[in-house]
Amino acid sequence: MRVKEMSRSWKLWVGGPVLAFLVLIPFLELQGGYLQTLGFLTFLYITMSTAWNILGGYAGQTSFGHATFYGLGAYTTCILTLRGIPALLTIPVAGMIASLYGLLWGYPCLRLRGQYFAIATIGVGEATRLLMLNLDDLIKNNSLLKGFLQKGVLTGGATGLMLPTPPDIQAYATAFYYGVMGLMFFALFVSWRVKNGKFGLGLFAINMDMDAAETVGVNTTRYKILALMLSAFLVGISGSIYAQYVFYIDPQTVFGFPMSIAMVLMPIIGGIGTLIGPVLGAVFYIVVQDRILTANLNLGLIKLSLSSLHLLVYGGLLVLIILFEPKGLLGVHHRFNIWWNKRKRRSLAATEKA
Amino acid sequence: MIVSAILLAGLYATMSYGLALIYGVMKIVNLAHAGVMMWAAYVAFILIVHLGANPFLVPILIAPVFFVFGVLLQRYVVQRVMGAPPISSLLLLFGVWLIMQNISYLVFSGDTKAVTTKYTLMTFQISGISISINRLVVFIVGVLALVVLRQFLGHTYMGKAIRATAQDKEASKLAGINTERVMETAFGIGTALASLAGSLMALIFAFDPDFGRSHLLKGFCIVVLGGLESMIGVALGALVLALAEALSVLWLMPALQDFVSFALLVIVLIVMPGGMKELVDRLIRP
Repeated sequence: MRVKEMSRSWKLWVGGPVLAFLVLIPFLELQGGYLQTLGFLTFLYITMSTAWNILGGYAGQTSFGHATFYGLGAYTTCILTLRGIPALLTIPVAGMIASLYGLLWGYPCLRLRGQYFAIATIGVGEATRLLMLNLDDLIKNNSLLKGFLQKGVLTGGATGLMLPTPPDIQAYATAFYYGVMGLMFFALFVSWRVKNGKFGLGLFAINMDMDAAETVGVNTTRYKILALMLSAFLVGISGSIYAQYVFYIDPQTVFGFPMSIAMVLMPIIGGIGTLIGPVLGAVFYIVVQDRILTANLNLGLIKLSLSSLHLLVYGGLLVLIILFEPKGLLGVHHRFNIWWNKRKRRSLAATEKA
Repeated sequence: MIVSAILLAGLYATMSYGLALIYGVMKIVNLAHAGVMMWAAYVAFILIVHLGANPFLVPILIAPVFFVFGVLLQRYVVQRVMGAPPISSLLLLFGVWLIMQNISYLVFSGDTKAVTTKYTLMTFQISGISISINRLVVFIVGVLALVVLRQFLGHTYMGKAIRATAQDKEASKLAGINTERVMETAFGIGTALASLAGSLMALIFAFDPDFGRSHLLKGFCIVVLGGLESMIGVALGALVLALAEALSVLWLMPALQDFVSFALLVIVLIVMPGGMKELVDRLIRP
């Protein structure tokens, strides 16, 4: 009991100042807003990582196609905004469209199991990217759909779409910083509710043994689809916010395979199927990306730009995690705790003896 | 058009059979297949362009090297997750693929490379159809490899052991087959086939470190189309896919060629997971 209280107060002592620091970042203007951008990206990726984890972690359905939702969210916002609809209004619409798209491909694909589902999602992701790349040309040749084009453009093909920049960019960025922070907490809240509710219980059951879950009365297909739609909704909103933050999107970035990979890697690195794991993973991912993409290693004779090593880091990490610690960083932390307690007990016993 | 589709199908079949073999024996989806194809393409590039090797002998030289690579990969990495749920082996091999990609980026940079030889543009005519010699030889090498493999699987002890393990691992163990050895060999052969396909593809397509992803997906599509464990099925699946691609260029847009094959993959996975064999069975026995 006392140990638990201590650990709680410990968490409060660390968590409080960290949260306060995060809230204050925009006012401090450290390093010319660099930290603020980093914070924005971290919150965004935590949201996506948490969202992926609802389907991939809780329900155990590994999806390599989540970039479709991200891209669709981003494109929905851009297309609607360019047609005169207020940008903020497009955010829920983006989420809903992503969610519906999830229903569209999830309904058939989720009937596949394990590895087959994973492969199908790679196919869906790539097919969607190629479709978006060529959508304008397809529509141009179709007399029925021509009305959707505006000055001959809907998705802009490979060049992508551009949004107008607002006059006060500093205030705009700060507003988005807090906005995405709120979104992150919303995603964490959703994830927490799912995890501790009946819905999450059903998803865990599916993860462990689908047939058994069905026998006990879990409507597995429906649960999986709902999990996918929820996950897609959050990722779609993330994509929408990303588009509004950077003002420019193209299919290769928002629909690209690396985006899907990122969403698979983050929760696995942090600790798949847990609440905090995806957060840790996302923070780790961003820090590695940020540090590695900028660092240059000077090994005497060879100068190595570390930016060319990011796949190696992620791939190596993935291999090590699968081989040695399937619970990711959280598992490492757990092991460390056990080791630490053992040591403490041993030293305690030693002092008692003496 | 149709002829070139058939010639391409031979290559696709080589690539897909490696996947099917590994899946059949180990129930593992080998995402590193794409990495192997990509590496083989680069090795072929070096051997042909820089060292002046004969482009049609190179694949035969490369395959044994990658066989060893596959065996080692299976023995020291994949073997460790054999008991775990299948998805972890998929993720593991995905990690291996990422590492392979990165190594290529480091060594070869991200530039697109292509192998051009004196055979590249050579064609000959048969009754009005012009056929590229390059593609024809690629087709022949690919099919030859499959024929040799078929003989191996049908007539040697190891070949029979591989087929037995694919059918029932536990029973094979009981019958005294060293299934771990079998799995290593199967993984090695699968990898060797991937390298063969990769080095042959280098003669036809341009490639970069990301090369192989679309071909990997096509491979899955073929394997699922053809049913998982039969060589003729895989050959038929390859033919169907190659024809579908050729037709999509004719009827839709060339840019949507890959879209068609990926969409086909998803549709096939969902509609007929048993492949064409199941479809035929259903048609014959109503």
